[in-house]
Amino acid sequence: MREEIRKIQDMMEAAEYVTDAPVATSVHLATRLRKPLLIEGHAGVGKTEIAKVMARMLGTNLLRLQCYEGLDASTALYEWNYQKQLLHIKLAEGSAGPLEQREHEIFSEPFLLRRPLLQAITQEDQSPVLLVDEVDRADEEFEAFMLEVFSEWQVTIPEIGTLKATHPPHVILTSNRTRELSDALRRRCLYLWIDYPSFDKEVRIVERKVPGVNARLAREIGRFMEVLRQLRLSKVPGVAETLDWANALVSLHADYLDEAIVFETLGCVLKDADDLKRFRAEVGKAGFAPFLPAEG
Amino acid sequence: MRDLRAAVVRFATALRRDALPVTVVQVTDAVRALEHLDLGDRHEVYLGLRAVFVTRPEEIPVFDRWFDAFWRVQADEVVDVMAGLMSVPVEAESPALPAGAQQRDTLALEGWGEEEAADTGEPLGVPGLSDREAVMTQDFSSFGPDQLDEVLRLTLQIARRLARRLSRRRRPAARRGRIDLRRTFRANLSRGDLLELRFRRRKQRKVRLVLLCDVSGSMDLYSRFLLQFLFALQRAFGRVETFTFSTKLTRVTDHLRTRSYRHMLRRLTEVRDWSGGTRIGESLGQFNREWPNLVDRRTITIVLSDGWDTGEPDVLATELLRIKRRAGRVIWLNPLLGNPSYEPLTRGMAAALPLVDVFAAAHNLAALRSLAGKLSL
Repeated sequence: MREEIRKIQDMMEAAEYVTDAPVATSVHLATRLRKPLLIEGHAGVGKTEIAKVMARMLGTNLLRLQCYEGLDASTALYEWNYQKQLLHIKLAEGSAGPLEQREHEIFSEPFLLRRPLLQAITQEDQSPVLLVDEVDRADEEFEAFMLEVFSEWQVTIPEIGTLKATHPPHVILTSNRTRELSDALRRRCLYLWIDYPSFDKEVRIVERKVPGVNARLAREIGRFMEVLRQLRLSKVPGVAETLDWANALVSLHADYLDEAIVFETLGCVLKDADDLKRFRAEVGKAGFAPFLPAEG
Repeated sequence: MRDLRAAVVRFATALRRDALPVTVVQVTDAVRALEHLDLGDRHEVYLGLRAVFVTRPEEIPVFDRWFDAFWRVQADEVVDVMAGLMSVPVEAESPALPAGAQQRDTLALEGWGEEEAADTGEPLGVPGLSDREAVMTQDFSSFGPDQLDEVLRLTLQIARRLARRLSRRRRPAARRGRIDLRRTFRANLSRGDLLELRFRRRKQRKVRLVLLCDVSGSMDLYSRFLLQFLFALQRAFGRVETFTFSTKLTRVTDHLRTRSYRHMLRRLTEVRDWSGGTRIGESLGQFNREWPNLVDRRTITIVLSDGWDTGEPDVLATELLRIKRRAGRVIWLNPLLGNPSYEPLTRGMAAALPLVDVFAAAHNLAALRSLAGKLSL
């Protein structure tokens, strides 16, 4: 294994992010090849977290662009501060001056509202990390616009001129697959698919993130989640649910899992009436034992 | 370094042949990536190249197949790895496909390409094509191969009309919208006062379609026309995700994304992994599990099937209910409905019927055309 990749892994672990080789390798290549990294995976597997950890690791700013349906170029890039412009005009009323000059005044930098994409382009000292979160929620048109920005890292504001990035950002895009992203975007990025964690990884995450959890409980939680995800659920719980649940169990002073405490706290994990029914049916049929680790 | 580049190019060629559309930029990136990886560490090289070449989880098995074939040589020496790379002929058959995998029972789509190329020479006394109304109301199952082009043209026309209807975003509203500061400001710049207000309305969120098309044997006579319809609809209206199913579900959106219908058929026959029976419920279940986020309130889900389900009707009902809860509208198109004596009594259809918003025929062009009124939310 490359020294750099091991270092990334260590730094991520130090930043309280439980990681593995695929994540570390992808982050390493994304920073080296200076390519956007597209991360897909189910909800709650820690996609967004990677960008945060990466920013901390590189000691740089994190700029976050949260996508939603209807997000357009101006909201993502820049807007003029109309209220401020208006106020300025009112205050300057009476003071003579040609129209062009007044217009020039109010369409200058102090009246510019920089949105995340423009902020990412105008960083002066070092490359920031730009997180484009849930890009699948934005429209196809916005996706195309973003590709354009990513290829040049420059933007033209008619009233000011062209701005070009001196330190192009590291880009992380996340998607929950509510819509298939275009091939153009996919092929432009490095790709990382994050699945639900393996048993070992999940146990490590619980031990790392939940203070006061004992080794036995952590293993039992890991096993329980592993089996639970194999039931055909409509809302499969992610790591976020695991952590909520582990915290709940710890605050109830549970040292191990039994049927009673699981049913008491099941709402942390299963959030769909059908899934609850299915789980109950499963326990009714095969008992609770399959959900616990084998002895020894 | 030269050898390494050649090896990566070969690797990319193999992936491309296995339907993974690798671009030139990706190949260059792969070569650059290798400079930053430990070439003695097989897993690291695997992960690195996967990050470059794979762009969706469904592509991982294809990648794995070829990566294994190329890197099979166990060696700690880079040179050996590369030698192994160079010696694997690119022409080799895809290693994971057993010889008998292609042999199956009666398949929809089987041999369509050939059928079209070779004239079967069977006029069968079908009505003249100039007679459009007759074509519009003729049952799909009675079309001859020679009528395909005409039908395709008409299907495309209908699909375009549907797409226009779907993509209309603005609707006249009685109330005025929010004040648009940007435009108001521009309009009043010379006055210094805001005399003329400009308004904007909320953008309509766009409708999306998810199409689930039954391609099992019992649908054979219809599915070729319905697929044609899906193809035309997707071409005219981008926001479509298309799946086919028989005993299992296949996403074919990308395969329909091609210019010519014949080309599409060829690509479809390449991926065909459907077999005789129909398990509608389980196919829908697979859809719900693997694509849980595709359906939302602005999505119209259309199932094209005759409802002949060899699986459990309970499964069908449960899975369809899951879709219905999330979708804006569920439409079931059943070509058999065109037959006046047909009643939806098959167990599957009976289970599905209460959960469906619109139950309509899809046996001829007129039926497809009348879909227009139902495709809005």
